[in-house]
Amino acid sequence: MQNASQSALKSAKKFYSSSTKLTNTEVRKKRNALFEEEKQRQRAAYVKRVEKILVNYKGQPKDVKLLMNKGISTPYNCAMHINEFLMKRSIVALVNGELWDIHRPLEEPCDIEFRHMLDQDPKLPNQVFWRTGAFILGHVMETAFKDNVYVELCSFPPIPVEKGCFVYDVDLKLPDWKPSQRELTSLSMVGGELWDKNWDFERLEVDASLALKMFEDNRFKREQIPDIAQKHKQKRVVLYRMGEHIDITSGPLIANTSQLYRFQVAQIHHIKSRRFGPLQRVQGIAMPSALHMHWWSWDLLCKRASKPMDYLLPDYFISPSKEPTQQKEDNVRAAVEN
Amino acid sequence: MLKFSVKRRPRKLKGVWTGCGSGPSERIKYLRHWVGKLIRDERIEGREDRMNETRGYAEQLISLAIQNGENHRPTMEMATKWFKEKEMTYKLFKVLVPRYENYQTSFTRIQRLPIEYPGNPYYNVVLELKGNPYPSIFPEQRDKAGLLNNILIEAAKKDFYNEHRQSQVVRDSMERDIVGLERDTLQVRMDKSGSGKVENVKTGSTDGTDVDKL
Repeated sequence: MQNASQSALKSAKKFYSSSTKLTNTEVRKKRNALFEEEKQRQRAAYVKRVEKILVNYKGQPKDVKLLMNKGISTPYNCAMHINEFLMKRSIVALVNGELWDIHRPLEEPCDIEFRHMLDQDPKLPNQVFWRTGAFILGHVMETAFKDNVYVELCSFPPIPVEKGCFVYDVDLKLPDWKPSQRELTSLSMVGGELWDKNWDFERLEVDASLALKMFEDNRFKREQIPDIAQKHKQKRVVLYRMGEHIDITSGPLIANTSQLYRFQVAQIHHIKSRRFGPLQRVQGIAMPSALHMHWWSWDLLCKRASKPMDYLLPDYFISPSKEPTQQKEDNVRAAVEN
Repeated sequence: MLKFSVKRRPRKLKGVWTGCGSGPSERIKYLRHWVGKLIRDERIEGREDRMNETRGYAEQLISLAIQNGENHRPTMEMATKWFKEKEMTYKLFKVLVPRYENYQTSFTRIQRLPIEYPGNPYYNVVLELKGNPYPSIFPEQRDKAGLLNNILIEAAKKDFYNEHRQSQVVRDSMERDIVGLERDTLQVRMDKSGSGKVENVKTGSTDGTDVDKL
């Protein structure tokens, strides 16, 4: 395993050199190699000596006690022992009351519950799903374009579900582009294909230094990583991987792309940001496979999602520690004006 | 007073039992039987027209019992005549009256049953007393307002109606501009001498029209 990842890393390094022009495919390969290496390294610590933990499952069909492996078993593995419908429908788990990814390893003895899109109170699964939609928008933007366009992802804010769309701020370096309906549809198809691919969403906590190494080609993420690491307890950065797409986000994501069915890139608006310069705001909307919708209602929602979303623009998030007080006031005024 | 509608004329219940006669006396026999069954079992099934008739009589009995109480002689006589079993009069006064004393709605509920093909030329129906101990006929509908698709559609609806209302306000104000004057902006200003002049509240200008001369 180690040899394969080492050779992958070498080959990736070979591709990526300062003389060649940056492309998204090369950058992704490099990131994946680093991610895989780190993942195997972290796993090795638990695999050598397997410890057992007691997990209490509460819910349908009945309460069960399970003996799982520490640092290796995930809530998905617990569901495998209980029932098939739990495996397929669970979006997110509650481990000791805390939101937990379905494929995130369990660390200590705990109480576990599962949440799905058709729950009595689906508030948490809805938020998780909306966050995943924005994450997938990043994947769409990085993969959809040809190699001559180098896409740099900036950030995605936590927009609530009621606003009607999720959003990713991106630097496409195409300042005069107004996407046609056909182009938007082809972008949406990249997201629509994911349902077939059955990709899991994997989570990995890494040191800030490794994260900086992985995202050194993205000028926005380079700036954001120190701030993100500051907020974390152990000063680490949380990464998520879906297939070959890796991104930084704190909250949990859904379990598998088979739980996402409809995906639409609604519109791309041009915005200006004081901190990051001119950006493109990509707005999208998605539906899980558990819920059905008539094409007319879906069209209505897509039209609503294509309206410019001025909520939580990039200037909203300015770290107070960096700005001196005068400049801070200016920034606040600018944000209000925007 | 009954809390649901009753037909003006009694229905002719034709052929209520095969082999029995027809006519008013047989009809009352039939209804006596089924009203007693309803009071006993609290949920019965039958043909729609017949159950509708029994419903009227059952509701009337209960409402009379509530109004007059068991010490009222005519009510007691009526109850004993209507029920074949003595226990039913007891149940009426001791169980059903306290149950339905404070009801604002009717005491019974009717629900049509599904037709089994090829079916009959009439609906079969379930007639039940409210507050019965059986599980309800309809399963409890859960609240689906929190589901993702419903949240998105409700938000889209709100947006649409807010826009619609705003455009309506714009349309109304444009109409007013065309007409030239709004209602309630004119008032009469009284002078010291006692004569009044019509005045525009907003602009303060007067037409010069004297109220006395209008």
